[in-house]
Amino acid sequence: MTATPAASPPPAAPSARAVAELHAAGRLATDYPRVRGLLADLPGAELARAGQVLARLDPDEVLRAHPSAPVVGIAVTGHRTLGTLVPPLTAELARHGLLARTHLSGFDGWVFDLGDPGSELYAARPDVVLCVLDPDVVFDEVPLPWTAADVERALDAKVALVRDLAAAFDRRGSGTLVLNTLPLPRRFTAQLVDYRSRARLGAAWRTANARLLALGEEFPSVVTLDLDPLIAEGIPAEDARLGRYAGVGLSPALLARYAREVGHLARHLTGRTRKALVCDLDGTLWGGILGDDGAEGVELGESPRGEAFAAFQRVVRQLGSQGVLLAVASKNDPEPVAAALRDHPGMVLRPDDFVRVTANWRPKPENLAELAQALNIGVDSFVFVDDSAFECGMVRHALPDVAVVRLAEEPALHIERLLSDGWFDTRELNADDRARSARYREELDRQGFLASFDSVADYLSGLGVRVRLAPVTAAEVARASQLTLRTNQFNMTGRRLQPPEVRAAADGPGSRVLAIRSADRFGDNGMVGVVLTRAEAGVVHIDNFVLSCRVFSRGIETACLSAVLADAKAAGAHAVEAVFRPGPKNAGARDFYPEHGFTRVGEAPGGGAVYRHDLARVPASPAHIEFTESQEESR
Amino acid sequence: MTTIEDFMVLVRDEIGLPLGPEDADLPLDGLPGWDSVHLLTLLTALERETGRPVSLPDVLAADSLRGIHRVAVGA
Repeated sequence: MTATPAASPPPAAPSARAVAELHAAGRLATDYPRVRGLLADLPGAELARAGQVLARLDPDEVLRAHPSAPVVGIAVTGHRTLGTLVPPLTAELARHGLLARTHLSGFDGWVFDLGDPGSELYAARPDVVLCVLDPDVVFDEVPLPWTAADVERALDAKVALVRDLAAAFDRRGSGTLVLNTLPLPRRFTAQLVDYRSRARLGAAWRTANARLLALGEEFPSVVTLDLDPLIAEGIPAEDARLGRYAGVGLSPALLARYAREVGHLARHLTGRTRKALVCDLDGTLWGGILGDDGAEGVELGESPRGEAFAAFQRVVRQLGSQGVLLAVASKNDPEPVAAALRDHPGMVLRPDDFVRVTANWRPKPENLAELAQALNIGVDSFVFVDDSAFECGMVRHALPDVAVVRLAEEPALHIERLLSDGWFDTRELNADDRARSARYREELDRQGFLASFDSVADYLSGLGVRVRLAPVTAAEVARASQLTLRTNQFNMTGRRLQPPEVRAAADGPGSRVLAIRSADRFGDNGMVGVVLTRAEAGVVHIDNFVLSCRVFSRGIETACLSAVLADAKAAGAHAVEAVFRPGPKNAGARDFYPEHGFTRVGEAPGGGAVYRHDLARVPASPAHIEFTESQEESR
Repeated sequence: MTTIEDFMVLVRDEIGLPLGPEDADLPLDGLPGWDSVHLLTLLTALERETGRPVSLPDVLAADSLRGIHRVAVGA
């Protein structure tokens, strides 16, 4: 819907000035939570300016004013000068509300940085290490004169070296190493005058890049960013003068674009991946206005603009197939919307693709808030996409945590706009992701089922909940990690674990990672939670307890906790200790341990409280749950 | 952008350092918050503003903001 308020002044073009003014007034640290909003829509050049200012801001100064601001430690190393990466990196993280603490290594220090366990880079204990490689890392090793075969040998040696360093990094078991593919500039290929050699060089180069990309599969802690799609957007890979005179390997524009990708990764690593895409209809999923033009009159398929909208719908559906929950929020009457979604021959998306279709005349922020409640996720899990400046502005104003994607009037640009910020980027997908939409639809059905019961107890006993608790299998490690990354509400410590950390906890002496699976009459929920325990000197410690918001408040958490307590008692432990660390969203879980017979015994290192259960009386598992437990990994 | 005053405004806008005209002659290392990476940002901005190429080796060799300005305007 396109609607414009009558007398609003034309909005000022977004600029970095507001950030500079905060800085000049000495309020950048105290007003840091505002920065994210100020950066949201800045075009590249303005974002670069804001980055210059933000890069000089001391993260500790921000933390003094906002102790819970999320910090990401990023170490930057590589083959050549990388100082130009720091401002855009700082700005890109700030766009997602993250505070970057950067450690910049010296020129060409990457081999030492990654290979020496005592290096300054490792001492900085970064969450993310960016090892930025450029084509000269190969060509510096090539003799003069050179042939394609010389380059092939240099590539082999370099990729082998990168692999060794990646393996060393992976063995450390903490943090994420970001590698990148190497662009192949024409200034090298064109030095070979025969097409055959040139093709051989091109093929060898691509093989090396394919091997770099494969390192991300071989080592769970490694992500290789493919620079080719970024360069294909029209970004120059290099700047000849900066390369020659200032030792800058990749062009500032490419580094800025790379920084944007790192921002998406950092958002994922800190558990901020978006979960749901809420779409407007008129002007977004089809052209024209349903209420005015009728279902036959909207542009969808069959015309050039109609095809552009259909292409956009295909992209939305593709995202939906990978676990992104799709919903509609439209200012329209519900009946024509339902009919158009069901019957319009050009629709790619159908009613079943959406977890909910909301068509009414209420303000969209209200509809979004209600949808968040129904799905039991935060509005900060939403991406809202609309072509109307008015609706986008209203949502941004009322719900600043929603990511708002404002589409242009030209539908051919919709796809690029929606995908530009990688809102749903994640390390890997699993079967649970692919089944997510169906599970949330089932959950909405459950809520309808709930409304038909007199009491919650009746409802729960009718639900037929089955829970299984068992040590995590190798195949479940990725999902266990993902649960710690995605879960914010029932997450007792907020500790995020990468797959290698889950594996280490599962293999460690005395420590266990227990997977919680659940099912009920509406379907299989899959793996919905994780309990990390560690036995030490007669005490079992619950290092973290995470349960998907889809399934809590059904007694599943109680059933699992009582099993952990009973197991500890049976194994001869004299107490169980657990930590609750308050985070931005887990206040609802604060009393979980006290409500189950734990008493507070002190402060936890790093914040929060330690609770202790003396195992004298282990709470019973709820009667409505059919609980099974296995000590074995087999399923 | 022809005068040193215009240039100092450009420096302030592009790299966000709170500098005044009095800082034009200070050695670059003596400017609060200065980083050699800023030279590269300034080069790009200068070329955009003046509409002509500026010699990067000369900018790198300059010892003050006034020196950079001199390179940019060809004085």
